[in-house]
Amino acid sequence: MFRDTFDKLSWSILVIAVLSLVVLLYVDGGTGSDKRTHGPGKALERELAYRSRVELISTLFAPVEKLRKEGNNQTALLKLDELIKKYPGEGHGHILQGEILYTMGAFDEAVASYVEGIKLNGDYVDAKSSLSRRAEIQHLVEEGLKNIGQRSAANPDNRTLAAFRQKINYLKSRLAGGCE
Amino acid sequence: MLRNREFWLVVSSGLFLGILGVLLSVWGNPENSGICVSCFIENSAGALGLHDNQRMQYLRPELMGFVLGSVLSALIFRDFRSRGGSAPLSRLFLGIFMIFGCAVFIGCPIKLMLRLTAGDLSAVAGVVGLVAGVWGGLKGLAHGVEFTPQSHGKANGGLLIPILFLLLLVFFFVRPSFLLFSSQGGGAQFAPWQMTLIAGTGLGALAQRSRFCITGSIRNFMLMGFRVPALWGLLFFVGAALVTNLVSGRFNPGLYGQPGAHIEYLWSFLGMGLVGWISVLIGGCPFRQLIKAGEGDADAGMVVIGMFIGGALAQSWGIAATASGVSIYGKISILAGFVLVAAGSLMFRQRTQ
Amino acid sequence: MQINRVIRLIVALVVLGTFVGCKAEGKRQVVKIGYMLCNSEQETTQRFLPLTKYLSDKVGVDFVMVPVDTHDFEKRFKAGEFTFTHTNSLIYIVLHENQGVQLLASEKRGKLGSRSAGAIIARKGSGINKLADIRGKRMAFGPMLAPTGYLAEYDMMLAAGINPENDLGHYTIPPGSYKHEKLIYGVLYGMYDVAAAPVMDIENMTRDGKIAPDDLVILAQSKPIPYCTFGVAKDADPALVKKVKDALMSLIPTDTATVDGEQLKVMKAAWIDGYEELLDSDYDPIREMAKRVNVAPYQKY
Repeated sequence: MFRDTFDKLSWSILVIAVLSLVVLLYVDGGTGSDKRTHGPGKALERELAYRSRVELISTLFAPVEKLRKEGNNQTALLKLDELIKKYPGEGHGHILQGEILYTMGAFDEAVASYVEGIKLNGDYVDAKSSLSRRAEIQHLVEEGLKNIGQRSAANPDNRTLAAFRQKINYLKSRLAGGCE
Repeated sequence: MLRNREFWLVVSSGLFLGILGVLLSVWGNPENSGICVSCFIENSAGALGLHDNQRMQYLRPELMGFVLGSVLSALIFRDFRSRGGSAPLSRLFLGIFMIFGCAVFIGCPIKLMLRLTAGDLSAVAGVVGLVAGVWGGLKGLAHGVEFTPQSHGKANGGLLIPILFLLLLVFFFVRPSFLLFSSQGGGAQFAPWQMTLIAGTGLGALAQRSRFCITGSIRNFMLMGFRVPALWGLLFFVGAALVTNLVSGRFNPGLYGQPGAHIEYLWSFLGMGLVGWISVLIGGCPFRQLIKAGEGDADAGMVVIGMFIGGALAQSWGIAATASGVSIYGKISILAGFVLVAAGSLMFRQRTQ
Repeated sequence: MQINRVIRLIVALVVLGTFVGCKAEGKRQVVKIGYMLCNSEQETTQRFLPLTKYLSDKVGVDFVMVPVDTHDFEKRFKAGEFTFTHTNSLIYIVLHENQGVQLLASEKRGKLGSRSAGAIIARKGSGINKLADIRGKRMAFGPMLAPTGYLAEYDMMLAAGINPENDLGHYTIPPGSYKHEKLIYGVLYGMYDVAAAPVMDIENMTRDGKIAPDDLVILAQSKPIPYCTFGVAKDADPALVKKVKDALMSLIPTDTATVDGEQLKVMKAAWIDGYEELLDSDYDPIREMAKRVNVAPYQKY
């Protein structure tokens, strides 16, 4: 592998390139000249972006939370309607809607809202997420399964019950985990 | 057969794969996904910035372990042979569609068995599909649908994939800024890296020695029945996983509410059917492709590159199914895969006069 | 040429089959649907004529819409004037208990789906801030057979220990049509101190800009109960009943029907979001309310 001029030339280029690479990595890692290329910076950026998003959600939906605290659930629902239309890709509105509907006793509609919210953003089933609603969803699933069990068995052809069961099973599946 | 060393290698591979497949999940990997090559590839593609699903970004050390374990084993036992040149571009595309098939089912053939042994009865449709796909592939082979033979030699670039995965391992430890890691979702669930790397390397080495492959086992059984050890490896894998799931309290039998599963049985069947068919054409399931790439098979390396592309596209294009079902893009990708395989079979079949 | 003959034969068979399969309108079975008047006959007709036409198109039967006043409903049903019924949930219970009417489908509308709630409201700033404050005040109710305009609110008051017969200054039911809107306006403009208003109407009036949500205080709100309901006579043809049910359940926002030459979206015209299959037992909360409030069909004299 060191026979002729070409071999020597190839080896020289290889050694120079490797040495240059090592020097470059060492120098760049030491001085930190470009902050954007630093690992921790990028991770911090993402963390900050996520926290900003959570803050923004709180700000956007603050009027709804205020109406809820005042006991004005009906108006809160109307306000949520507006916000959901304005931000269709945001799951938080659906989650809040689900919470309000559950408080009002509209269980089936509450489940449907939670399902929509989780489909848009799975953070609500993550235990560690700041948006987590895992405990409420768990409770919803347990109540739903208790609710649906006998009714479904007695009315196997009922389409509404079948659709409701599917939604409960979806929530159960998301709570169970998986790759999503 | 009991005196056959190959038999015990295959059985050991199955045993360890089954046990570790469940234990890795107990130690922190997502539920029923202790080992899932397709999910891990999607996660790793995300970590490399190839897609932007923030919940699926993590460079899985298991993948590096599989390849590097295979390399080590191949080098130690002088089994490393650089080879390739057998329809590399076709294999690249088939790798893409193989991951599409896995993404629609939500799991590779290893995860298929892990789901089944955890009591997820919705995986049955996938099992039936996989067997049907392997059968289809075998029919193709029997009727002249096969790639050109490989050539042997260093020029085939058999070292490139092992070098790539070594580089990925370096990335994992050095954490350059372009590498992304999820803080939520499936990408944020992982077992300690030490365990995953050791498990992956051990399994990679074992699988390299034993040639263990899920679809290969089904294929060999169809061809030769119980005379070959292949199916025993699969049975031991399933048995070990089942026992480990039972012992660890992770056996929850049922059709509904299973983790990372949907109930669109037709598409589970078709997704795994596509995977089975492609696996037979290219000589192994996704796991086997990683192992072969580790022992110098550059064609398997092309499949691995294709799988990474497929993993990225599955997430970016919304092809990957979720618990709510299979998207229209997922369905289109499966049908497109069958178009590709069927058209390829028709066009490239070696017909006898 | 043999092929041409075959093709001509196939075309002829297809054309014949089309004519045989489709009965021309007017030669089909005629079935009547009694629609309880919502706010007025005109509104009810405008809302539900497209739905009636849709059912005719889907089921292959000529459905005829019969608008019926709430108080005449049972009498006219008993006289056999119509087979299918579209009523509020209390009227459905009356018909079910007294005439054996079967539940067909429940109408979805608004956030609560096929359910709605009743509320007791007051004007903001009137000094009436909680339910106990309504004692001695002037109150307006909706029609007596309105589940969320009378029944639910009366029940809530009884549960709070307030007897409408004794503890209010006086109560009234507005005359004429659009009663629910009248009593909401009545509260806003001081004609009444409090009113029993369906949450659905408050929602609709707010959405239409007729009132602002900040103008009112909701003193109490009932749990959601089923609302508009399709029913059918117990002796109706089961095959027909199944077809009607399937047609209602498969209704989607893009379905249209032609009325007086105009193609209309059925759900949009009817102001509904679809239909679902509730169980008769889902109506039990209304039965319990009716017993407590002593209204039909459990009224005791």
